[in-house]
Amino acid sequence: MSRSTGLATASALLLVALFAVPLVTRNEYLLALGVSFATFAVLSSGLNLVYGYSGLLSFAQVGFFGLGAYTAALLMTELQWSALPAVVAGGALAAVAGLVIGYSSLRLSRHAFAIVTLSFALLCGIVARDWVSLTRGSMGIPGLPVPTVGAWRIARPADFYWLLLGYSVLANTIIYALVTSRIGRAMRAIKLNEALAQSQGLDPLAHRLLAVTLSASLTGMAGGWFVFYLTIVDPSVFDFYYTETMLIMVILGGPGHFWGVLVSCAVLTVVPDLLRFTTDLRMVLYGAVLIVAMLVLPGGIGGWLDRRRVERWRRIAYGSPR
Amino acid sequence: MDAAFFVQLLLNGLVLGVIYALIAMGLSLIFGVLEIINFAHGEFYMLGAMAAYFAVERVHLGYWATIVAVTIGALCVGWVLYEALLARLAGSGFERSILVTLGLSMVLQNGAVFLFTTTPKMLQTADTYSNVTIGGARIALLRVLALGIGVVAYAGLHLMLHRTQVGRAMRGVAQNRDAALMVGIDPRAVSRLAVVVGIGLSGLAGAALAPVYAVHPLMGFAFVFKAFAIIIIGGLGNVSGAAVAALALGVLESVMGGFLPQVVVDALSFGAMILVLLVRPQGLFGRGVRV
Repeated sequence: MSRSTGLATASALLLVALFAVPLVTRNEYLLALGVSFATFAVLSSGLNLVYGYSGLLSFAQVGFFGLGAYTAALLMTELQWSALPAVVAGGALAAVAGLVIGYSSLRLSRHAFAIVTLSFALLCGIVARDWVSLTRGSMGIPGLPVPTVGAWRIARPADFYWLLLGYSVLANTIIYALVTSRIGRAMRAIKLNEALAQSQGLDPLAHRLLAVTLSASLTGMAGGWFVFYLTIVDPSVFDFYYTETMLIMVILGGPGHFWGVLVSCAVLTVVPDLLRFTTDLRMVLYGAVLIVAMLVLPGGIGGWLDRRRVERWRRIAYGSPR
Repeated sequence: MDAAFFVQLLLNGLVLGVIYALIAMGLSLIFGVLEIINFAHGEFYMLGAMAAYFAVERVHLGYWATIVAVTIGALCVGWVLYEALLARLAGSGFERSILVTLGLSMVLQNGAVFLFTTTPKMLQTADTYSNVTIGGARIALLRVLALGIGVVAYAGLHLMLHRTQVGRAMRGVAQNRDAALMVGIDPRAVSRLAVVVGIGLSGLAGAALAPVYAVHPLMGFAFVFKAFAIIIIGGLGNVSGAAVAALALGVLESVMGGFLPQVVVDALSFGAMILVLLVRPQGLFGRGVRV
């Protein structure tokens, strides 16, 4: 069995096991952790697509997440849309926002992109709080309706678990398919050496905009599904906590490392919850981890494994004595 | 329209603009010289205000003594920040420096939340309720003092950058690092000085404004968001451009706030930034040469 079929079999088995969890246990705490993991898996893979594969540090992901959340919630409560079109509309609006931000800032520089994305995320939170006539301010919109998709009424914790896990698998499959395709290789080439990639006829702006827009729409839809699970949407969906958590997941897992980021996402969802830190202390710890990781291990665990693999190949190729 | 009301809004806007300027100039200076965007910049403003609060409430220092003590403290913090963290990042990529300063910001902000809680603290001084009357508008004395401190700090920075040898060295490094090295300027010393001055300005802003606004751990966050927009509008790394953009934004926000809903005022800085990026990406005052 080759390495890639082994990986495919393992991930298929893991997926079946994950989907079977609610059949075995109805433990709500466990299912809540699962929902949290499924959501963060979309958020961190989306960030990985933009930062890890395209080399653009985006702080706007939380803005897309909340934008999708608010759009879906408002369309359902104010205009009585059904869940699926409302969530898709949320994703579409997030994609448009991503396109505008990306187009206006990327013409200048990657530096401007980082700053503009940060401002966008903060602005979203402020607007959600201050545009009271639309968003009801800090009170938020409580008591969101129970979403139905076709004949499936999503009300029990197990339903939400299946919904978010299903969406997460879909989103991650799309991202995986993109980053392992020709376009994904082009994105990596542009990240490594923009001038060289350009001289080979690759368009940096188009590839970067594709990454930003796709990531924005997937993240926005994740926000839409996630608020139905919370049953309330308020300005805290724009909290910087989400940004910091997904950054830590991507950095520790290894930017540009699809599986590494998913593993670190699983570990960082489960472990801090078991340790029961208060959120403040957890963020202090994450900040310290971020500083140390950037100073000592900038490629994350995935980057470290890559380096080891390259060293092993070198040893085999040149037969160096240990 | 009532003239006194307008003067009132204008003066409040100038005070706001001066705070924006103090924070944005330091940010712009550090970016110009080190090519590092300091995400923790707002936290030093917050720490300055916190330090001023404790200096007055616990140590019972006077107004001026507090400002001098906090500014000196901030200068020292800037020195430590450069030597301990930023010097290790020299030339190691833009994203890495952002992530390190972001980590620092998380530690400082959440650490402050953990230690001091998010309850806003009001700093009471003997002058808290003193007013001066300017053109029919009454304005708090402490705001006028903050305005004066801001103007003096700007003048000082401008003189330093344009009239002294170290200032010229700083601009030289910002314009061309390699050429500056070739004519014998030590980039490390210049970078250290830029960080010290930038953090010092943030701390000064915090101390001057602690008695004007409520002091709480998340206060830096709101300002640094405006400061980022300002340095883009003024042109990345352009210190004077940042100061002008900051003043304009402060006044506009204050005057618009008198007539328009809050959400429009909030969106102003972001909208202006996107507009500038689309129409004039090098910034309103960018001429291709920085600082």
